[in-house]
Amino acid sequence: MHGIKRALATIKRLYLGALSAPERLKKKEPEIVWKHLVAPPVKLTLFVLTKIVNLFASVFRLLKAIVVGVKKFFVGIVRAAKYNPKSFRRGLSSFFLIGLGQFRNKQWYKGAPLLGVFLIFLLVELITSDYIYAPGEIASMPAEDTLYFFRDYGGIFMRGLWGFFTLGALTAGATYRGRTVVTEDYAYDWLAADNSRTLMGEGVIVLVLVIFLFALWIYSMRDAYVTNMKIRAGMKVESFKTWIRRIWDEYFAYFIIIPAIALILLFIVIPFAFSFMVAFTNYDSAISLRSDLIEWHGLVTFREVFGVEPAYRDFFIRVFRWTAFYAVVSSLTVYILGFIQALIIESKYVFFKKVWRLILILPWAIPGMVSLLVFSNVFGPTDGLANRLLIEAGLLDQARSFFEWLGLIGREGGTGNIQWFTHRDNANLARFVIIVVNLWLGFPFFMLLITGVLGTIPNELYEAADIDGGSSTQKFRFITFPWVLRATAPVIITTFTFNFNNFGAIYFLTGGGPGYRTADVPHALRGIAPGQTDILISWIYSMAFESGDHDAYNLAAVYSILVFILIGVISIYYLSKLKSFWEED
Amino acid sequence: MDQKQSSLRKFLDRYGHYVKKAVGYTLTHIWLLVWVFIVLTPIWYMVSSAFSGVRRLRDGPLAPTLDTLRSFTLDNYREVFTYRSGTGQALPDYPAAFLTTLFIATITTILVVILSSLVGFAFTRFRIRGKKPSLLFMLGLQMFPSFMGMIAIFLLFRVFGWLNNPFYLSLIYVAGAIPFNTFIVRGFMRNVPKSLDEAAAIDGATNLQIMIKIIVPLAAPIMGFIAVNAFMAPWLDFILPSIVMPNNETVAMWLVRMNDPATTPFEPILFMAGAMFIAVPVMMVQIYMQKYITYGLTAGAEKG
Repeated sequence: MHGIKRALATIKRLYLGALSAPERLKKKEPEIVWKHLVAPPVKLTLFVLTKIVNLFASVFRLLKAIVVGVKKFFVGIVRAAKYNPKSFRRGLSSFFLIGLGQFRNKQWYKGAPLLGVFLIFLLVELITSDYIYAPGEIASMPAEDTLYFFRDYGGIFMRGLWGFFTLGALTAGATYRGRTVVTEDYAYDWLAADNSRTLMGEGVIVLVLVIFLFALWIYSMRDAYVTNMKIRAGMKVESFKTWIRRIWDEYFAYFIIIPAIALILLFIVIPFAFSFMVAFTNYDSAISLRSDLIEWHGLVTFREVFGVEPAYRDFFIRVFRWTAFYAVVSSLTVYILGFIQALIIESKYVFFKKVWRLILILPWAIPGMVSLLVFSNVFGPTDGLANRLLIEAGLLDQARSFFEWLGLIGREGGTGNIQWFTHRDNANLARFVIIVVNLWLGFPFFMLLITGVLGTIPNELYEAADIDGGSSTQKFRFITFPWVLRATAPVIITTFTFNFNNFGAIYFLTGGGPGYRTADVPHALRGIAPGQTDILISWIYSMAFESGDHDAYNLAAVYSILVFILIGVISIYYLSKLKSFWEED
Repeated sequence: MDQKQSSLRKFLDRYGHYVKKAVGYTLTHIWLLVWVFIVLTPIWYMVSSAFSGVRRLRDGPLAPTLDTLRSFTLDNYREVFTYRSGTGQALPDYPAAFLTTLFIATITTILVVILSSLVGFAFTRFRIRGKKPSLLFMLGLQMFPSFMGMIAIFLLFRVFGWLNNPFYLSLIYVAGAIPFNTFIVRGFMRNVPKSLDEAAAIDGATNLQIMIKIIVPLAAPIMGFIAVNAFMAPWLDFILPSIVMPNNETVAMWLVRMNDPATTPFEPILFMAGAMFIAVPVMMVQIYMQKYITYGLTAGAEKG
């Protein structure tokens, strides 16, 4: 955009210059053309290309590191077997039974907990399983083609793994082992239809637990080997007491973060992994009704979103454009108004600064959800405060024609009360109101922030400007503004990412409405079409949770991944730029 | 003409300073008054509706006249605190929701403070492998639309039978708060000189003692900040409780229900009353906490 503007200005200058001094211009023309017309796009392209190449390079580095790590792991095993066969056999005994190597190293205190964890896993598996019924039932009710052994008789772990990898095999009504599959069967568990959603959920949990067990197992083998090497080298085996003390001291930091890590794994990482995987399935409302099974779907949904289905693409672009517009404009307006208020309150022409500030920060202090819900009543269609005030003041018609003149109210805007959020020709009015309400909610934060920053500007700067005879405009232009901008730039970025995902501002205020004309909604989006003020995040929500029989979780997950890539990359990039973040402690 | 101009100039030379001042004062105060009006109108709307005796929002008072002041009643509050949507409930809806939320907020606060100080201590005083990438990863992960994880959280809760249990809901809040708080606590604890711990370690204090007796007391201000934030979060979060606590209402769920035309009772006026009851304490805490607003800034000010 900037490049185009500059190019236009250059063309204008060239034209004017041609009239006044053709000779001079002729000389400089190639230079100017290069500098303003050719160089900016070339530079921009090169910049973007280098960024992309860098990205690929770092992904490649990561993959390489993984491959090298795996290779090292196996090479290490082979080396161990070759050069230290006795210690290797100690490690191998832990392979056959977790903890056995530790017992043989006479470290019962290590072997016992390891073995204990394994036994707990085994016990849980056995208790929750039906293995004891398997021989009798298989003899009396054999399967004609496939027998899903772990589905029918497995305990929580085997059944969970089976469910995770297959996502279920049988729906209600199918024939299996000579009987009909039903929704619930109390005599034979395996006659109940598979609920893919539960299988997937349990599967993820089980998978994490099983990975944990495997990690312990590998640790057990490695530890048995290493300890045995040390014993062979003549080191004494630690006693239980010194071992405990050493572990506690050495790994103290790890011990105290275990609870936090566990919570984060359970409530952030596992759900994230789950929704990430949903994007690669066919998970929609049919699944919750058990009339269909989840299947791994690969990139089908991604392809639908990005190309094959023009309806998705069209609506995605519409929603995305409004989301980006909303995020940029609301962040900017809030910043500018906050700046103005801070300057005015801090100016020398104000009495009772504290009182004004206290009143103006009220919108920040009131919880956002409450004010948004209040505003949804203020702009209610019939009995809202906005309409009542306009009627009371006799300004309703003037207001309507003013909004019409602005182009915010559509041709069929209606008569009577102004329909702020409800009439589908008034979408622009609803958007305008959203931005205004957001301004009301958001400016006090920046007012407070910038007031604080203004106090940190050294007075010497202004004094020096006074000596040089700088006007107050110049002082603002060259001292105040750059200083404030530099101090608040990171907050502007966080505000932008916040607004991009500002679910509440849309959901509580307009609920996404007004909707699109039914005729405009393509068939593929029937039931999950966005409202005209929906931003990506609120569309995703209604797509996944509020569309009844049309719920499309896989589509919602695809869009979520998209939002995550956009916003997550911005914020990770920005966080990693913070010097304070990378400083060594 | 000439005469006139020069006399105007004379006047300005002598009194221009005052004119400028007067104009400046007038303009700024007009601007501020306009904004006070804009800011206070919706707030007045909430307050006056909450204390009005009418049953429908459209009959509520418009402007703060003497009449509206005289007609202030607590009728709506009586309704809010006594209404039961079902028979056989131990408590009316709103008080029940309030107590549930209070429980969640308390548990969340306690756990967040304990876990954040533990993690913050571990992250500032010890070498932990991969701590920066993981912290970065966690903070980035929070940009993923959180409710998409909720299908999984819902399934998790159903598998373990945690649905409608406020304790487990507060665990989710704790998990969500830890990454950012760690970020903040780290910045603060780093400024506590390490010589203090070393001196204590020489005197024979264990790691745990150093943390509890030295670091955490010194980090008390930031802990207070974290505690207040943790305490406030559950009051106005709607989506998460509405999914994992379908039959156990929190205040936010109550507020949304009162405001939703699709449910009964649809009572925006009761919403106004209930909302004010929550908004006023939150507002007071926020105003008190405004000095901490620069914490977010100081984290960013060291941009390199």
